Amino acid sequence: MSGRRTTLTIADVSVGDELPPLVIDMTATVVVAGAIATRDFMPVHHDRSYANAQGSPEIFMNILSDTAYCSRFVTDWAGPEAMVRKLAIRLGAPAFAGSVLTYTGSVTATAVVDGEGIVEVALQANNDLGEHVSGTVVIGLPIG
Amino acid sequence: MSASSFVSDMTFQDRLDVLVGTDMRSGGPTVAPDPVNQPMIRHWAAAFEDDNPVYTDVEFAAASRFGGIVAPPLMLQTWTMGTPMITGIRERGGAPQPSNDRGPLTVFDEAGFIGTLASNSEFEINRYLRIGEVVSAATVIESISPEKTTRIGRGHFVTWITTYSVEDGEVVGTQRFRILKFIPGSAA
Repeated sequence: MSGRRTTLTIADVSVGDELPPLVIDMTATVVVAGAIATRDFMPVHHDRSYANAQGSPEIFMNILSDTAYCSRFVTDWAGPEAMVRKLAIRLGAPAFAGSVLTYTGSVTATAVVDGEGIVEVALQANNDLGEHVSGTVVIGLPIG
Repeated sequence: MSASSFVSDMTFQDRLDVLVGTDMRSGGPTVAPDPVNQPMIRHWAAAFEDDNPVYTDVEFAAASRFGGIVAPPLMLQTWTMGTPMITGIRERGGAPQPSNDRGPLTVFDEAGFIGTLASNSEFEINRYLRIGEVVSAATVIESISPEKTTRIGRGHFVTWITTYSVEDGEVVGTQRFRILKFIPGSAA
């Protein structure tokens, strides 16, 4: 948790800036908490025997949790008044319970549009199986 | 629409192509069972350990650009998720409710493509939701791929577009979502 209560302005951000990494210890509790908080009751996200029958060694994170963590990763860095305008992710290797997921990312574009600072971040999260998720998030920041 | 009654001489791919442009739900948009509310936001923020104060701190949120508590933008899809009937959910493969009308994707299940795996999610957020707003989701199938061989088996990628609106019709966001419908155990 960042506890951040101030927000970056567009003047604080440059292309190539790296975001502080976010490390998630993907316990079964974390997987289940995310699935239920997003109201996704698919058994592969909470029932290991069901996941096994589907050919998975463990329960795994649902995509609504993926979008949640990608959003948090960016706003933890940018601050509470950064507005998420676009988020696009593609899933790769699963995030199984018992793995550790590390989010990294950097700024790929900045602009000022209609009085708002626009920042694009390219991100990815990897675990022991390789790249779990990659994508981009576009946020709006104050001009400062 | 029942695809099976008039398409006996169509190929499986023909039957899939017919689905493009179809509403995912014959009964119209899905309306959230509850308005945007603080308890569900607090539950979500705790699950993801997202301590952004505009989601839960009334005083901070009031003084922010948002002027009050807002829902996490990536909760947009959560508000219209079906309220589950827990009994039997395993047997239904996670379908929240038993139903005779399982929608256009039934054609996949009947052909053995019973597995479902999400692969892409893309949101455009027009504005954040406020406490008390009621979200509706209207979803249309955008495309269905030819059969692909993937790491987890043979399947088809299905892409749909969901438009999220509030009571007066204002569109608050859109989402493109892609899943793989696959045959479990068919991996090479």
